Amino acid sequence: MTVRVLLFGPEAAKAGRDHAFVELAEDRTCRGVKDALERACPVLQTALASARIAANGRFVPPEHIVGEDDEIALIGMVSGG
Amino acid sequence: MTIDVDILDGPLPPAGSPGDSSPADPRRCAGARVCFEGIVRALENGCDLIALDYQAYEPMARNQLRELADEVLSRHGLLGVHVRHSRGRVPVGAVSFRLVILGAHRQESLAAMDEFIDRMKKDVPIWKTPVFA
Repeated sequence: MTVRVLLFGPEAAKAGRDHAFVELAEDRTCRGVKDALERACPVLQTALASARIAANGRFVPPEHIVGEDDEIALIGMVSGG
Repeated sequence: MTIDVDILDGPLPPAGSPGDSSPADPRRCAGARVCFEGIVRALENGCDLIALDYQAYEPMARNQLRELADEVLSRHGLLGVHVRHSRGRVPVGAVSFRLVILGAHRQESLAAMDEFIDRMKKDVPIWKTPVFA
């Protein structure tokens, strides 16, 4: 399954783009998304350690299974306010 | 009890100006009105800033700000929570974030202010990038 992962802020700047496509094979959890993202964008390795995944605008746990139509975003350290 | 959240382009209009919408208190129950404004500083790590560029993952940011306002309002028994945050470029000296809390009393209003900002800075998907001179 191919998943588009939205990138923002420092992660988008590091990756040089606002999204990345990752391939999920057996592990279709958010943990799997992060692992696949690390392979697709090694420059994000450090950020991935503390970043969270949002599915459809909500933070989800690592074991959340990604659905075909889910909007997935990588949320690193935020800096609003 | 009112919750009002918005994300706006550029610097926020000055408080009390025609472009600024203050929280309503039609029954005049508030004994406390606490306002916090986040202002863009001139220095970042010792370097001269000209502005901050704000980016938001907006659908999520709006929902989270609203839910956070709702939780804080309920937990502290407030009368109103009003949130404005900038997107895009905000120059030095301008306001990029405004939080106004209405409560019956000072104690819960100040406590709610602290909690809201702490949690917003941890969880709401908004990012700022410095623009240096």
